[in-house]
Amino acid sequence: MPSRARAVAQPAGLRSDGNLAEPKLAEVATPEQLLQQQQRWRVLDMMLSSFADFAYAFDRDGRFLYANRPLLELWGLTLEEALGKNFFDLKYPDEIAARLQRQIQEVFATGERIADETAYTSPCGVAGYYEYIFSGVIGIGGTVELVAGATRDVTTRRAEREHLVQLEARYRGLLEAAPDAMVVVDTDGEIVLLNVQAENQFGYSRDELIGQPVKGIIPEGFAERLIADGTRTAAEALAQQIGTGIELIGRRRDQSEFPIEIMLSPLESAEGILVTAAIRDITVRKDAERHLAQMEGRYRGLLEAAPDGMVVVNGRGEIVLLNARAEKQFRYWRDELIGQKVKRIIPNGFAERLIADGTRTAAEALAQQIGTGIELTGKRKDGSEFPIEIMLSPLQSDEGVLVTAAIRDITARKEAENRLGQVEGRYRGLLEAAPDGMVVVNQAGEIFLLNAQAEKQFGYRRDELVGQKVTNIIPEGFAERLIADGTRTAAEALAQQIGMGIELNGLRRNGSTFPIEIMLSPLESAGETLVTAAIRDITVRKEAEANLVVKIEELNRSNEELEQFAYVASHDLQEPLRIMASYTQLLSKRYKGKLDSDADEFIAFAVDGVNRMQRLIQDLLTYSRVGKTGLELLGVPSDRALQQALLSLSGAVEESGALVTHGPLPEVVADEVQLVQLFQNLVGNAIKYQGAGVPHVHISAAKNGAPKWMFSVQDSGLGIESQYFERIFGMFQRLHKRDEYDGTGMGLAICKKIVERHGGTISVESEPGHGSTFHFDLAASEPRS
Amino acid sequence: MSIEVLLVEDSPGDVRLTREAFREANRAIRLHVATDGMEAMAFLTRQGAHADAARPDFILLDLNLPKMDGREVLAAIKSDENLRTIPTIILTTSDAEADILRSYQLQANCYLTKPVHLEEFEAVVKSINDFWLTRVSLPRRR
Repeated sequence: MPSRARAVAQPAGLRSDGNLAEPKLAEVATPEQLLQQQQRWRVLDMMLSSFADFAYAFDRDGRFLYANRPLLELWGLTLEEALGKNFFDLKYPDEIAARLQRQIQEVFATGERIADETAYTSPCGVAGYYEYIFSGVIGIGGTVELVAGATRDVTTRRAEREHLVQLEARYRGLLEAAPDAMVVVDTDGEIVLLNVQAENQFGYSRDELIGQPVKGIIPEGFAERLIADGTRTAAEALAQQIGTGIELIGRRRDQSEFPIEIMLSPLESAEGILVTAAIRDITVRKDAERHLAQMEGRYRGLLEAAPDGMVVVNGRGEIVLLNARAEKQFRYWRDELIGQKVKRIIPNGFAERLIADGTRTAAEALAQQIGTGIELTGKRKDGSEFPIEIMLSPLQSDEGVLVTAAIRDITARKEAENRLGQVEGRYRGLLEAAPDGMVVVNQAGEIFLLNAQAEKQFGYRRDELVGQKVTNIIPEGFAERLIADGTRTAAEALAQQIGMGIELNGLRRNGSTFPIEIMLSPLESAGETLVTAAIRDITVRKEAEANLVVKIEELNRSNEELEQFAYVASHDLQEPLRIMASYTQLLSKRYKGKLDSDADEFIAFAVDGVNRMQRLIQDLLTYSRVGKTGLELLGVPSDRALQQALLSLSGAVEESGALVTHGPLPEVVADEVQLVQLFQNLVGNAIKYQGAGVPHVHISAAKNGAPKWMFSVQDSGLGIESQYFERIFGMFQRLHKRDEYDGTGMGLAICKKIVERHGGTISVESEPGHGSTFHFDLAASEPRS
Repeated sequence: MSIEVLLVEDSPGDVRLTREAFREANRAIRLHVATDGMEAMAFLTRQGAHADAARPDFILLDLNLPKMDGREVLAAIKSDENLRTIPTIILTTSDAEADILRSYQLQANCYLTKPVHLEEFEAVVKSINDFWLTRVSLPRRR
């Protein structure tokens, strides 16, 4: 540091006029005067030596005229040793001595004071730094007679200052190098120092800010903290801030504002306590924070809203976040789990996946899991366990890669699966055991399941059919019933089919078709409505049916033909028969007695034969008519029919004197004409086959298990041997010779046909010699209301 | 005065029988015979060979005739304004309900079934004579 000479104010002298009293050496002094002078000198010396500073004087040659004690001590000399020596003599370094000398001369010459400083190491080895002032003492002559000097030891101060300068330098270096803007503010709130970052941040140049109030760049919050109010010192106020980052708003040169974070720290300086503020532009951070807050908010919202339990786990397997659902699932409070190892709630399988082993990173380990649902076991707070399915996904965060696990409680699903498995097992058993082919079809018309029977029926192996459309084996009629059209659901469409056997055609593997009957029933399975079809091969049945139909047709045809034949035959036979009968009778009538007796006999036989033939034909005709004509089934009062029959038999009744009685006779469903015929034949028989005695005929009716009436025609006649019970109802069956009892043998056949046509049966009870009872049943008629 | 009767009958046996029976019943009856439906219509409408045919006082008509059968003849007679006034009596072997109904539907004046026995037949003819020729008033022959 260059020495500077400065003009300073005159120091106060010892004398009031400013001059130093000097001892006069030329005059001889009295002993009292000498003592006074010595005393005066001693006092002066003591006084001068009481200062810490050095005081001394030089003559023109720079020789010491006086040095106070501190200075002497520094030199390590006595006054006598020092007097008369100059700096060179005192072994001052030559440059310093020369300078001092020169300065002394200058003072002598100019009379102006000189102030300077110098470093000096005393002979004792004490290194120091000194400020000195040389000032001229004007003598009586008006010129400088001697130079007085005062030196102050500023070693410490200087060291301090140097230290400070060093610090400052170092600090300035740091300041400039600091990544943050650094601003140093004094207690008045003015900026004393700033670095280039601060310049850049705020858009100012250094000189525009130095000396300005910091309020200019940090409008609020900073100064307040600094300015000591009456109750606190800046130091105390500051002490509160040390170490904490304070968020404030910074204002740029262009007046735009931006968020900043300042960190304050005190700085001791010559000017007092300064505050260093490290200023960080936290715009980005603030944005990120806000973004994060948003994201967090959103994420948290999502998290909370998620239907599944959500748990976020860090790289160490600790839970960092979870949602309310997860709380419920595991029955923990949130805070009980945050920070805990996830192992606590998912004992096995989760953590392993996360913790990176030496060969993989967590990210890689994770990558394997993304998207797949893993079935594990969850453990509740109370220790109970339940089946869960977790889906993992990574989450980038400040703390690294986190793992979000969506946890689903699959207890119900597992149960359902079990149950389904059971049901399936049971059902499968039933299916296999079923005698019919069983095929289960889904709503898409695809075969879901089938049993061994179905395999056999269609000639396929199971795997060839499962998943295939059912139309492959049942081309038409099945799928249509299943596939919901726009107006009905499959369920409704199905409902119609339940319980009904539907005849369709099945298609075998080899392409052949065969008739089947299917019965559909719905089957609920895992939320899907399936259709179970029991399939019966009805080939045999169909054939039988067809055969039957054919046979019936044949039968009908032959019956018809027969009847037709019978009708036609008897109808057409009537004609020639009539002629024959008439002419033989005419012959008999006209020529009886006119020819010989042989002729009479011959004619008689002819006539008889014809008569019989006629009756036979007539009966045949009646028989065939019973079947030919349509029945007119009405409610007929059977007693009326009986009366009608008796009317026709009136001749026979009168002739035989028969007694015909009857009980109450009901109304029946019958064709009246045929009912009359029936009664006529039966009663006629009863009268005819009387034998000896008067015929007694009784007709009655009894209820034969609703809704039929059993009629009985009882006679007192010959009776019939049991072996003939069946025969007598046959055609042309007679039990008696012609000359015993006349008859065509058709009567009972006709009765049988009539009764059978009415849906009833006819039978006989009899004992030879004890009469016969003929039974037949007819449908009861509904009572007329 | 003779009574003209047209007998429409294809069986010669029946014709002879009828003739005999009528002779016994009423000798004044003159029996004309047509053996089939066509001939009957020709007679009634005085066609061809029958240009001078007498108009019958009544007609005895068998149903089962060859070619044009009795039902057709009946229908033809009863749809002819001129002929429908002649009483037409169905005299046939059939006692079938259907035939009876049909005949009356076609406006036959009455329906008689030819009895099988001669005696009965003679009685029927006699009753025809008694009823239709004695009791019943017939329209004047034109």
